Amino acid sequence: MADAARTRARRGLRRLRKASQYTLLAAFLVLLTLTVWPLGHVYLGAFLVADPLIAANSAMGGVLRIEMLLAVVVLLSPLLLGRAFCGYVCPTGALAEAVSPTERPSDGGPPRMRASRVPARARAILRALPPYVLIACGGLLLFASGSFLFFDPLTTLTRSATVLLYPALDRLTRVIGDVAYLAPPLRGGVDAVTSALTGRIVFTRPLTYGLQLGILGYFGMMLGLSRLEPRLWCRHLCPLGALLGLTGRFALFGRVVDAEVCIQCGKCEHVCPLDAVSGDHLSTDTARCQLGLECAEVCPTDAIRVGWLPSRTTFQPSRRALLGASGATLLAGFFTYTGLSRSERDVRLIRPPGARTETEVLGLCSRCGQCMKVCPTNVLQPAVTRAGIEGVFTPQMDYRLSYCDWSCSECGKVCPTGAIMPLALEAKRKTTIGRAYIDRNRCIPWADYKTCLVCQELCPIPDKAIALREVEVDDPRGGKVRLGRPEVLVERCIGCGVCENACPVPNESAIVVRAVAPERRA
Amino acid sequence: MERREFCRYLGVCTVAACTGGLAGCARLIDWSSGSRDTASRSMSGTETTSVQPTGTSVPTATPEAPAPPPDLAVWTGDDPESNVRAAIAALGGMERFVKRGAKVVVKPNVLTGRAPKYATTTNPQVLAGVVKMCLEAGAASVVVLDRPTSSARQAFDVSGLTAATQSAGGTLKILSDRNFERVEIPGGRSLTSWPLVADVFDADVFINVPIAKTHGMAGLTLSMKNLMGIMGGERGTIHQDFAQKIVDVNTLVKPHLVVLDAYRMLIRNGPTGGDLRDVRLAKTVVAGTSQVAVDAFGTTLFEMKPTDLDYLVRAAEQGLGIIDLALLSVARGQA
Repeated sequence: MADAARTRARRGLRRLRKASQYTLLAAFLVLLTLTVWPLGHVYLGAFLVADPLIAANSAMGGVLRIEMLLAVVVLLSPLLLGRAFCGYVCPTGALAEAVSPTERPSDGGPPRMRASRVPARARAILRALPPYVLIACGGLLLFASGSFLFFDPLTTLTRSATVLLYPALDRLTRVIGDVAYLAPPLRGGVDAVTSALTGRIVFTRPLTYGLQLGILGYFGMMLGLSRLEPRLWCRHLCPLGALLGLTGRFALFGRVVDAEVCIQCGKCEHVCPLDAVSGDHLSTDTARCQLGLECAEVCPTDAIRVGWLPSRTTFQPSRRALLGASGATLLAGFFTYTGLSRSERDVRLIRPPGARTETEVLGLCSRCGQCMKVCPTNVLQPAVTRAGIEGVFTPQMDYRLSYCDWSCSECGKVCPTGAIMPLALEAKRKTTIGRAYIDRNRCIPWADYKTCLVCQELCPIPDKAIALREVEVDDPRGGKVRLGRPEVLVERCIGCGVCENACPVPNESAIVVRAVAPERRA
Repeated sequence: MERREFCRYLGVCTVAACTGGLAGCARLIDWSSGSRDTASRSMSGTETTSVQPTGTSVPTATPEAPAPPPDLAVWTGDDPESNVRAAIAALGGMERFVKRGAKVVVKPNVLTGRAPKYATTTNPQVLAGVVKMCLEAGAASVVVLDRPTSSARQAFDVSGLTAATQSAGGTLKILSDRNFERVEIPGGRSLTSWPLVADVFDADVFINVPIAKTHGMAGLTLSMKNLMGIMGGERGTIHQDFAQKIVDVNTLVKPHLVVLDAYRMLIRNGPTGGDLRDVRLAKTVVAGTSQVAVDAFGTTLFEMKPTDLDYLVRAAEQGLGIIDLALLSVARGQA
């Protein structure tokens, strides 16, 4: 009777864990969906610094904010809760677990994880990886490169949803609307829904992002590895998991096994989602245990419970290996730091308003892509090559695609790291991020002797950063022609890109914005 | 896999592929050319433009007959909505234009997202006044629409026109490419067909509610130029032979009522503005039934003459309306 009650309680814990995972995944996506212009009070934003990796990186870069206290809690949680973060909280972990293959045991009972299909030798190497993952991250962090955050699970999910999910939703909404529009009675409804969703789910210009296939490939690989071994990425490769595992080594509370009762059947080893039970089954790898207690659920003799000071078998890399890895990382970090890519800057690389200096952006940016999610005009795009290999997926402006809206300064507000500083709208309107240059060889009034004023007409600067100079010139076709020729008034231009975006000259615009040193105008 | 299972799998895949393919085809439809041939459309209920100036025909009116409504009503006062109400009342009331159960489309100027004080977009209270009057006259629906040059959501929200429309009881419609239909412009000289908002032609009443602003190329943007906002497609190329193209659209689209908002006027750096020093508080509204007449009067607000605007001169030459202010009867008042 008591056994039945305990079994029920343990199944309840598994259900609770699943419920917690999916609830938080849903909450994460709801928050990200709410990360649109105009920002209300609820959006994802600084929640991401609850991630200790991001918080540590920002703190190294000199940015401190109150939300980082959450990160301290998360970082210390493994002392009492094991890697409960991985099992109960992490939304990426929830997805990795959801795609992990399961099988129903022959004796009935709940479905459990299928055994690993990775060959034993490869598996031994994988199991030893987390400390080295951590060392690599530490080396990059030390030399002010935030590029390792590309591999963080929370930024990966934010980025993948931004680049893949929302453009897909945009297109899907359009297609459904188009199909429904074929039936005239539905048209009123379709128009009403479209009006309500425009600027939130479906956009005036369809959402589009660079690097989509790359992100799809990386995210797909990350989840797909679970087919080889359940949660393979979480177990052996996740840098956040490795960091939490470092605290977990000193766990005070965790899984304990009654050696008198244990019959060494090995069922606990098979069901553990994070591969924390191995060898004698009596001790636990506290750097991995997420306190899901699925082992207790399947234990036929009920030998497993939780208690203080669990006996542990954590992987200990040799001192020589650790020193070697650290040395290699330091060298790699040093030469990244002193490399040419850190001092050269592509003139077409324009960072969003409020962005810090290029070095600081590379160091702080978490590559989460929230700025691109919130950007209402879709002008913020992931850098592919322009910011160098370190800067892949950092935000840059693409003015042929779109422009920076005069009534928006949301990218700085959602940035969890301060790589883009929050600017008041008035300050943003005076922040110069580039300047426009007219290509007189291609501009219609200059080259074609025809009238055009689109750039001047749409320039949002109150006193206009583009002037039309009235001239009477000799038309090469004969005669004279009077027209207004645009010229940029350099001290007024802030580089918002409205002109480059609107220029009717096809393909490459006849007025282009190029990078200048960032400056703030009082 | 068993044969039965395979067949079922194949069936599901086929259905999924067909659905996806058909949906994709719907996406490929160019809504702006819905019927293969360019549709020939006209405004409902607009009488053919009378070039007879009513101002000169005053003596023929018999004493018993009610005085014909004036060509223009110009009202000034501190409250934008009262100005609108008084001016439209002077034209014969909204009931003259909006019959019970009518579908009304209202077109403000929503160029881009700027607060109302910058006079870049139609005054929200002016728009709200028009919408309320339509509903009071018994309109079945009042749809407010425009195609801003920037993202529609920001433009409508920041300009205060979303809130104004909704609080007045109107329906805001953010346009998508489905709402445009390529329409033939029989009277067009430079522009012979263009994708235009179909709602304008489907409506019983179309009301143009522009704001008075300067414009780098057109000189001023008033009611005639405001019709660029119902044009779809790539509008960048319109700027060549600009004046003629504005006139061409006006040969086809003739609003039943024009309410020119000059409560705040943008007197420099139009059409986008953004500096309060460029805004003049005129506290005026000009209402009329002829875009040409309203715009001709509108030039005087900027101390200009109707003949200063190329498109007005051309419109008068083509017989679209009268620009000689002496021939127009104007009712003036203070609200």
